Amino acid sequence: MNLGNFGMDTITLAGPLEAKLRASKALGFSQIMLWAKDLAAYPDGLDSAVKLVRASGLRVTGLQVMRDYEGLSGPLHDYKIDIAKSMLRLCKAVGAPLLMVCSTTSKHASGDPAHVARDLAKLATLAVPLGIRIGYEALSWGLHVNEYPASWEVVEMADHSNLGVVIDSFHILANDTPLDSISDIPGNKIALVQLSDYMWRDIHSPQERLETARHLRVFPGEGTHSHELSDLLRRIDRCGYRGDYSFEVFNDDYLQMPPEVVAARAHQAAKWVTDQVLRRSLQARERPREDMAASIAL
Amino acid sequence: MTIRENNPVPENPLGIDGIEFIEYATLEPLALGNILERMGFVQTARHRSREVVLYRQGPMNVIINADPDALVRSDAEPHTTVLSAIALRVRDAGAAYRHAIDMGAWAIQTRAGAMELNIPGVHGAGDSILYFVDRYQDFSIYDVDFKPTPGAPLNPPAIAGMHFFGLVQAIRRGRANEWIDFYQQLLGFCVLPEGRSFGIMPRGTLLQSPCRKFYMQLVEPPESAVDMDWDEELIRIGFGTPDVVAATRALKERGVIFVDRAPAQPNEKGALTQLYRGGVSFELVQSQLGQTS
Repeated sequence: MNLGNFGMDTITLAGPLEAKLRASKALGFSQIMLWAKDLAAYPDGLDSAVKLVRASGLRVTGLQVMRDYEGLSGPLHDYKIDIAKSMLRLCKAVGAPLLMVCSTTSKHASGDPAHVARDLAKLATLAVPLGIRIGYEALSWGLHVNEYPASWEVVEMADHSNLGVVIDSFHILANDTPLDSISDIPGNKIALVQLSDYMWRDIHSPQERLETARHLRVFPGEGTHSHELSDLLRRIDRCGYRGDYSFEVFNDDYLQMPPEVVAARAHQAAKWVTDQVLRRSLQARERPREDMAASIAL
Repeated sequence: MTIRENNPVPENPLGIDGIEFIEYATLEPLALGNILERMGFVQTARHRSREVVLYRQGPMNVIINADPDALVRSDAEPHTTVLSAIALRVRDAGAAYRHAIDMGAWAIQTRAGAMELNIPGVHGAGDSILYFVDRYQDFSIYDVDFKPTPGAPLNPPAIAGMHFFGLVQAIRRGRANEWIDFYQQLLGFCVLPEGRSFGIMPRGTLLQSPCRKFYMQLVEPPESAVDMDWDEELIRIGFGTPDVVAATRALKERGVIFVDRAPAQPNEKGALTQLYRGGVSFELVQSQLGQTS
């Protein structure tokens, strides 16, 4: 198994930043997704946090998370641009190559795709001189954009090489979004894939969806949607995506366990993904060739 | 990419109309001034309050900024000289600035002193600045902030019709498309089709300014280079001339040394000077652009 493409997310692990980095590294992960608050709230200050991350030898997958950014106007837009600039400076300081942006939940935001695309392109341009890419994710409870086809629509419209979509399995499973449109997205326009599952088949209300998302996710291979996850991963692989897979698992139980134990579960999950999914994707790709051979023979 | 190919004729939202000046920031203004003089520039004016000097040649203005604040670098690299700014001629500097900010540029802190021109600008590649200047026809920005150098000609002629052809910018590996979209969406540049090249340094991606008066060339590190040593920054000015051979000959007579080995051997298409003190070099490119500006 090649662990190089898989990373932990600090949100999944208990303890101070040091312990999270140490546990990830100890279990063989070479990268980790950070949250801005990991750095901002570090007791010894930002510079020490940055030094700690750099000294860990772990590659930073990206930085979470810019919220309620797009679709705003006037002073609200200007305020959010200011916040975005601070986030980009944090990315630069800690060596994060990607800033994650979640689709807005703000009632003040316009859902006009052209407006959203314009705002995303602006952020993508802001990020170019700093060498940081922007990834836009459809939050399942986003006000206007809450499914990946909508996030791809505005990213495509923005037409900026420094902008891609973030595919998050939780939000797709939670809204039961059909997977057919994954093939519309070129692999190089997928900025990141975040993986997690959960333990029940049905989500009955928006409240339950939010509660599940924030407290009750599990690693891939541990939940009840392994079949759908496999399908999703195969489709993403067929898009030509060769980037990182990050385990973004919000789980209150995991936060009561030593980070090494949780990182070991993540290690199992990485094995599950490569063993069960990526190997099968090779067969899936071979199938059409057989069909083609058959049709030529006819 | 199909999407880009289907783009309509590029617009010029900022009203860009060529380059007003290019600025170097340096700790060694005398050494750099000496190099510029060898390249045919003449010192024509000096800033009223700062250690800033204007050099001219034909249609070109080059500023040497030795103000201690000018060479603030975001990293600890021991550069003594950097290409620190491009001033773009625009229709309306305020409008251009606001448009650039709206499209995702970073504003710069204003550095003007009392009674000095406050030239609006945004951050470009590396630590460089893109200024917007709209006073270049009836009177110039230099009339306000600069005192003429006694005895110097106001408009020294250009050697062999030399003019600004463009700037070369280093980019990290695989980042050409991101920078193309930066220059395209922010300033209205358009990318030239692959295979179209100028001069003798064909490597890289060429972008044409919306006024079609100059170019940006994006250059990725050579295969042998380690990415860590390759900052994203402006690295070289390209001078256009209708007659590269004549220009090269005249500059050689003035003591300029050209690289004379493959793949940068001087010919009628272009030539590359040696790397001077502070990492400064210049490129000559066969060009008729000077006749239209």
